[in-house]
Amino acid sequence: MTLNDMAKALSLDSLTPTLQLDASAELSGGYVSDLLSDALANAPSDGVLVTVQVHMNVLAVAVHTELAAVIFASGRTPERAVIEKAIEERIPLYRSNESAFDVVGKLYAKGLRGPHA
Amino acid sequence: MKRLLADLHIHTALSPCAAKDMTPPALVQAAVRKGLAMIGICDHNSARNAAAVQEAAGKDLAVLAGIEITTAEEAHVLGLFPDAEAALATGDQVRTTLPETTAASRKFGEQLVMNTQGEVVGREPRMLSAASAYSLSEAVRLIKQHKGIPIAAHVNRPSFSVISQLGFLPADAGFEAIEVFAPMGSTARANELASAGLPIIASSDSHFLSDIGSCRVVLEIAAPTFAELILALNGQRGRRCCHA
Repeated sequence: MTLNDMAKALSLDSLTPTLQLDASAELSGGYVSDLLSDALANAPSDGVLVTVQVHMNVLAVAVHTELAAVIFASGRTPERAVIEKAIEERIPLYRSNESAFDVVGKLYAKGLRGPHA
Repeated sequence: MKRLLADLHIHTALSPCAAKDMTPPALVQAAVRKGLAMIGICDHNSARNAAAVQEAAGKDLAVLAGIEITTAEEAHVLGLFPDAEAALATGDQVRTTLPETTAASRKFGEQLVMNTQGEVVGREPRMLSAASAYSLSEAVRLIKQHKGIPIAAHVNRPSFSVISQLGFLPADAGFEAIEVFAPMGSTARANELASAGLPIIASSDSHFLSDIGSCRVVLEIAAPTFAELILALNGQRGRRCCHA
């Protein structure tokens, strides 16, 4: 699944629409956690992180673990500074009004798996 | 300069997770018995019992009024203040963002407001165990507005610490100290904390009388006061905090 497939399939709002992305890059997998210490240790590179944590440190984790994207669940929206940093670091951010449970369920149904699958 | 023992993170019966016998006179007595010269009263999201503990202590023990704020990220941030009024004002701003208690939440612990004698004079109606609406940076700013010292609480604990919630200490968080709960765990973590360049204090986070003073910091200060604590944290004028 590519980022564009993901965004379309889950009707995600893009928070970083100006970012030019590699439309053909495949996502490696996914992870869901609101504890960034846990995400830092376990999120897969080139994967997507689903979280309700909107602190700036989400981006530091994304850069460190080389995430392909972050989805904020339950309609959580980070502050403007976080979105600006994401554009600078070239990490696409998405928002879903659905809960993390539903977002992950849909991603799983589309074939995405966790890092230890 | 004197070498004095301080345990700056102690709960009272106001915190729903603390024992009911954490009354002002009982915890003062326990602290004095442990040889502490200074304690901090840091209940969850409120400082309504801090003044009662200060009065109960009289001249036997220095008591700093504080608070332990649960931020929107569910990270715990300590604030220690120059006086009880500043702590109370901070707590009042935080409390109003908390939900009301419910019959179900009250089963998880009472929130007892006490007088100097340890008598129950009220019950806090807001759910103090909940996360406030203050983000980490807003909580730090609020503490500083009230002339308090913002401290990242128990960073080597697996839950409710800035590090567990946010992966690591944000560089611009504005903390003036880091609190650890001994033992430190890995040397790597100890080195990581040291690299933040902030003073490190150890405290017990006591919820029970028997835990008071089980973890504490040694302060080399002239007297057990808030002003001297600030000098010790900054390593100024011969004051310092040690890890003995």
